[in-house]
Amino acid sequence: MSEAAVVVDDVSKKFRLYKEKNDSLKTALMRGRRSVHEDFWALRDVSFEVPEGSTFGLVGRNGSGKSTLLKCLAKILYPNSGSITSKGKVASLLEVGSGFHPELSGRENVYLNGSILGMSRKDVARKFDEIVEFSGVRKFIDQPVKNYSSGMYVRLGFSVAINVDPDVLVVDEILAVGDAAFQAKCKEKFAEFRRAGKTVILVTHSMGNIRDMCDHAAWLDNGTLRQVGDAQSVMSAYTADIGKGDR
Amino acid sequence: MTYLSELFASRELFYNLTMRDVKGKYRRTVLGQLWSLINPLATMLVYTLVFSFIFRARPSEGDPSGLDIYPLWLMTGLLPWMFFTRVVNGGMSSVIGNGGLIKKVYFPRMHLPFSVAGSVGYTWAIEMGVLTVALTVFGGMPLIWVPVALVFMVMLALFALGLAMLLAIGNVYFRDLQHFTTIALQMWMYLTPIIYPIHLVEDQAERHGQWILDVYKLNPMERFVSVFRELLYDNRWPDLSDSLVCVAWTVVMFTLGFLVFKRSEKRLAELL
Ligand SMILES: Nc1ncnc2c1ncn2[C@@H]1O[C@H](COP(=O)(O)OP(=O)(O)O)[C@@H](O)[C@H]1O
Ligand SMILES: [Mg+2]
Repeated sequence: MSEAAVVVDDVSKKFRLYKEKNDSLKTALMRGRRSVHEDFWALRDVSFEVPEGSTFGLVGRNGSGKSTLLKCLAKILYPNSGSITSKGKVASLLEVGSGFHPELSGRENVYLNGSILGMSRKDVARKFDEIVEFSGVRKFIDQPVKNYSSGMYVRLGFSVAINVDPDVLVVDEILAVGDAAFQAKCKEKFAEFRRAGKTVILVTHSMGNIRDMCDHAAWLDNGTLRQVGDAQSVMSAYTADIGKGDR
Repeated sequence: MTYLSELFASRELFYNLTMRDVKGKYRRTVLGQLWSLINPLATMLVYTLVFSFIFRARPSEGDPSGLDIYPLWLMTGLLPWMFFTRVVNGGMSSVIGNGGLIKKVYFPRMHLPFSVAGSVGYTWAIEMGVLTVALTVFGGMPLIWVPVALVFMVMLALFALGLAMLLAIGNVYFRDLQHFTTIALQMWMYLTPIIYPIHLVEDQAERHGQWILDVYKLNPMERFVSVFRELLYDNRWPDLSDSLVCVAWTVVMFTLGFLVFKRSEKRLAELL
């Protein structure tokens, strides 16, 4: 196995679930009420390595902690214990088009969104044509994005994000957006990534996607790691477990 | 990479977020940027009518500029105040207002309040420019004092930012803090000698006790307003103790806001 692009080492993440949430100063001051909460472990002692250049699938039932783990990878959330180390630049496609300003044109938003995702102005300028081409909204690029359809919005956001050119790309259920043609383009882009020796970590609910695209996979169950290894064997174990239909 | 160097490395984001606000605000309104001047002008007219014409507030003549024009005197204090409140209000809500972004993308979150100060500061700079021209037209000599005034403008921006960052974090825990802040700022404005001259307070202090004036001077905004008036309206060096107090407040408030924000920044995504 080649070197690891990402090392997830004994990561645990806890959320507070509020029974009674007090987020008002008035009740805090006047009635002395405090919040009552319970700890909920969304991830517990998860460890695995993602080999460099692999396409790594993350599977598990709803609520098993996949998105939480991806957010920890993307530095949006911070684990309560354990650590995540990644080699090179990490970019995440969790939700595209966040940070678009409705009054600004598509062009201005490409620059704005690029810089939110960590690209320099020069990077964006260099890739601008490619971004616009990929999104397929060239005709509307100087229109304010508030006039875009939601499909166009997503496609433009996706095109910016995918052109960030990271070493590790983290993708959460993004393949569900867009029409079939756009999805095909995205898959092609991921394949290009892999050929360039980059690492992709993705969550998807389509078994088909995992089979065609991933070489490695990990299976999360209620916040703990059930199995990690080559995609084939993890997927067959996971499918068998779902087949048992115990939930 | 240390926190500060990361912040500096992503300065392009600061610029882009600032321009998003600047461009987004006045895009596709007929008068465009001119709108930003109408609000202060309308306020100037109303305050002049009420406080100069009806209540007869009489600020002392500019020394040595010789200016004696209430609306101009008013604006030299009111524009910094309006900048201050806009940064505090805008910076405070910038974290919650961009919750969607914070939960979806990693970037140094401090650019959110910073860019509010940037875009509000952009408008303020234009307003102060117009005011400087007006002061010159009516016989003052504010131009040579502009460089010093710029230093104090940066200081006021940092002071306001420090408070805004503190409140932005507080607002995440207590969502009604915004309402309290609005009320507090309203009272704060009337307790600061902006629309009436400080000598009215001095008169009362002579009658009822020196402590009144001492309490008044605890207000950092009183110091800032008085420095801007001395520079631009009176055209002289600001009082040394006022200047030092401004520096001290700026350092303390900005450092406090910066540290509190930095400490809470990592937890923002799950708190929102
Ligand atoms: N910010 C949050 N606060 C509290 N609980 C959360 C938060 N985010 C996720 N959770 C909980 O953590 C668990 C894992 O969620 P998630 O990672 O989104 O699962 P998945 O993506 O695998 O469906 C869920 O039970 C969810 O309710
Ligand atoms: Mg999920």
